[in-house]
Amino acid sequence: MATKSGDTSHLYDGKTVRSAAPSRKKLAGQMSAGSDIPKDAVPTVEIPSFIESLLGGPLVPKMKFLPADKMVQNLQLGCYGVLIGLGILTYIVTPAVGTIWFAITGSITIANIIQLMVVIGAVSSGFWGVMGRDARYLLASYVLFILSVLRFASSKVSLSQDLFGFADNDFLLTILVVVYAVLLVMFFELSNGVLRFSMLDTSIRTREVYVMNVKKIVSRYHRSLIINPIIAGSLAMVVLSANTILPAFVSLFSEQTAVRMSESVELISVYGVALGSLFVFLIVGGLFLLDMPTHLQSWRENKD
Amino acid sequence: MWSRKSAMLGSLAVAMYLLGLTLRNSQLVTIAVVIFVFLTWAALFGSHADVASSGRRAEEWSGEEGVALSNVSAMRKLSSARIFEDGEVSVTLRMQNHSALGKILEVKDRVPEVMRIKDGANYILMELGPRRETFIEYTVECPLRGFYSLGPVAVRVQDPFGLFHKEKELHVYNDFLVFPKMEDLKDTFVKSRVPKIFTGAVNIRQPGPGSEFYSLREYFDGDSFRSINWSAYAKTGKLMVNERERDAVSDIIIIVDARSVSETGPVSRNALVYSTRAAASLTKFFLSRRDSVGIVTYGDEIVSIDRDSGSKQLYIILTKLAGAMARGNTPLKVVVNRILPHINRGSPIIVLSNLEDDPTVVSALRDFRARNFDVTVLSPSSLEFEFDAKRLDRTGYEVLKTERDVLISELSSLGVNIMDWEPDMLLSTALAGARGF
Repeated sequence: MATKSGDTSHLYDGKTVRSAAPSRKKLAGQMSAGSDIPKDAVPTVEIPSFIESLLGGPLVPKMKFLPADKMVQNLQLGCYGVLIGLGILTYIVTPAVGTIWFAITGSITIANIIQLMVVIGAVSSGFWGVMGRDARYLLASYVLFILSVLRFASSKVSLSQDLFGFADNDFLLTILVVVYAVLLVMFFELSNGVLRFSMLDTSIRTREVYVMNVKKIVSRYHRSLIINPIIAGSLAMVVLSANTILPAFVSLFSEQTAVRMSESVELISVYGVALGSLFVFLIVGGLFLLDMPTHLQSWRENKD
Repeated sequence: MWSRKSAMLGSLAVAMYLLGLTLRNSQLVTIAVVIFVFLTWAALFGSHADVASSGRRAEEWSGEEGVALSNVSAMRKLSSARIFEDGEVSVTLRMQNHSALGKILEVKDRVPEVMRIKDGANYILMELGPRRETFIEYTVECPLRGFYSLGPVAVRVQDPFGLFHKEKELHVYNDFLVFPKMEDLKDTFVKSRVPKIFTGAVNIRQPGPGSEFYSLREYFDGDSFRSINWSAYAKTGKLMVNERERDAVSDIIIIVDARSVSETGPVSRNALVYSTRAAASLTKFFLSRRDSVGIVTYGDEIVSIDRDSGSKQLYIILTKLAGAMARGNTPLKVVVNRILPHINRGSPIIVLSNLEDDPTVVSALRDFRARNFDVTVLSPSSLEFEFDAKRLDRTGYEVLKTERDVLISELSSLGVNIMDWEPDMLLSTALAGARGF
């Protein structure tokens, strides 16, 4: 124990003064015979995969969801309904003719079977993904749905099954295609909503986030789920009806040109659709150029 | 701002549109058109009017947050600006919406990482009505000393589908200070043999102004009547007065090792944490004993607070300890050389260090002892912290422990009162051990 004497320096004259204990890092580097650096001493570094880095983050969140609440269950039910409708419509509006498998096999029967399998696969993985709230299956479902529609169509909308005689009426055919497109986008949104609200619900229940006025927030989402498809469908109808609208507009100036336009192959083909979308988006682009969103927002913010 | 979802949808739509034209597939084009409409609608009426999609360039935009968030403001109130470790601060955040439009806002009040939310939440999703305000209350637990700042408040508004969002940081900051936790000490067993209030060196155990009883003596003219011991007068018939033991009012120097190596171990259990807590406890004890306390912290530089007494000194020292950061590698010898000319001979010196990675420790403490300073070393053992955290295996621990024991014996033989302070040991126990009790 400590001596109480005064000057003790004489005790250490000529003595080699030792250094303090070496650093552990140095020691760890020098140790051998089974004395490796403990694994937990090395910090875990998560390196994103190539695809994850392309997408800007993890593809599948590591978060485990708590059992679905009522809101999520409702969204799941909605998703199932949309999936059934989408599956049927996909099969109807995407005949096997012109598909990749038809080009590869050259057989309409085989191509039909493959096309049907792709649609069934898309629906099944969609179901599985929504039920298990697993983004991987949902992604597979999206890819399969897109794959099923990738076909050389020669500008003409053809149907694999025409039980109600849609092919005879251009307007009904357009509606069918628009409904199909809207359902596909709705499936994207609803399935994404299932994951988003599951995450939110889990965060609420683990007290990571507090939500004030849940009902209002949810009702706004529900409202958008109804309004947005209607708007999107209506606008898509306008775009797809270019072969009717444009001749009608031209007929104000020249009846003959209007008739020629309405009978033009280009206008009733996919290029007519492209022209229609060009017109619509030129108008929308013009609105943005005029800074309408900001003006509209300012007006809404500042009105009494 | 585009979200990942909207960016992917946008890319998908463009790809489908071009593929549709190439393959002459109107279904593909229709899907692309529907997606475009979805995105446009969200951008146009989603109450966020994104800068990029509004056609303005970012540098032309006066308010980064856009119109939607320009009318949102926040204020914050803390229950206390100074607390001790493990204390709690209640935070009240007041969010106001000055616009005529209701908003769905995501609000996140940024809290320092080391703090824990005890009650409430600092991340809120809310619907804030037009010209309304709301109060968000939460409590944070502050387990570690330091200077902290709450804020900024991040506010985000997005469309219902999460396609676009606007973010704004409301620069509302509240600073507060977390002092090191203090332990109540009954005795430190540290007393100066050379008190300072009288001229020249006078040993203690002498009568003088103080609080402890020393002896009785006869009354002399000029003695205060208040010090007369009336019981003794009744027994002896002579006026007797109480004499008190003069308090050992002296200079105490506390040296705190704040080198980067002092932070070896977990964030909440390392030598620096223990040292600062010990320094705070000792300061409080000595100041309550009317000693003067000075403190020296060394890391990348030597910072000292000159000796003084009183509650103001306690506050100054606590503030300094709260801000002590583990940095640099200044040897103890340099510190000793710097402070030696300025401290009274015989003043008690308390060193709080893990004694690691400093080859000058022995020489520095020998210098103190050679000048008859009463040196006490409390050495929180980083080895134990590392071993407890399973960052050190048994072999490494044993080797290093042996080396540490050798060093401690060496310092002990210099006449230094030293204690290997293990993590679960109370400060009072460690001090008693160091002083040979």
